Amino acid sequence: MIRVQREDVDIDAVLEAVKSDKSGCVVSFLGTVRDTSEGRSVQRMSIEVYEEMAVKQLSMIREEALERFGVNEVVVVHRYGDLEVGDSIVYIGVSAGHREEAFQACKYVIDELKERVPLWKKEYTGDGEVWVEGDRRE
Amino acid sequence: MKVRVKYFASFRDMTGKMEESLEVPEGITVEGLREHIKGLYDKMARRNQVLVAVNGAFVPLETVVREGDNVAFFPPVSGG
Repeated sequence: MIRVQREDVDIDAVLEAVKSDKSGCVVSFLGTVRDTSEGRSVQRMSIEVYEEMAVKQLSMIREEALERFGVNEVVVVHRYGDLEVGDSIVYIGVSAGHREEAFQACKYVIDELKERVPLWKKEYTGDGEVWVEGDRRE
Repeated sequence: MKVRVKYFASFRDMTGKMEESLEVPEGITVEGLREHIKGLYDKMARRNQVLVAVNGAFVPLETVVREGDNVAFFPPVSGG
């Protein structure tokens, strides 16, 4: 399951979707809005998305994680739009037979997401609005 | 030929546009199109990192752009 949505993440529903009887665990990652960024206080955030491409990229990353780590299921829900401090930004859930591959796959998905899924944060700070840009090189 | 170009995040602010249709020579590459756009917008020209996607996928810079392609320009991503 891959979702890019404005609404909050229904974590209970996503957990149900990722769990399975053949799995011994679910490892999950929840990214949230922090109240500081590089020394500035953050009041709120908005996230922009190139939705069509983001869904394609997330689907590719999901397939890679399933194949590379042999896990049973990978779900990713990423939000866009206006968010407040403490709000959920992204939820990643991985189910697997054993924890080791689930932790590895979960880390792989968030690391790749931060490199190649077209989403951009704009932070509203005491000093004004700031686009956050990653460090991907060509 | 005409190509459809979209801009995201700070690039949308720099160009003042979400998207536009550009007339470019047949056979232009992704890199050529990027240079063309840097020629149109000074602020884009000053950027080191200008990422490009064609039809929703990252492609090599030497890829030839086809009529009707959807090309997107954006800064390094910052989701998660």
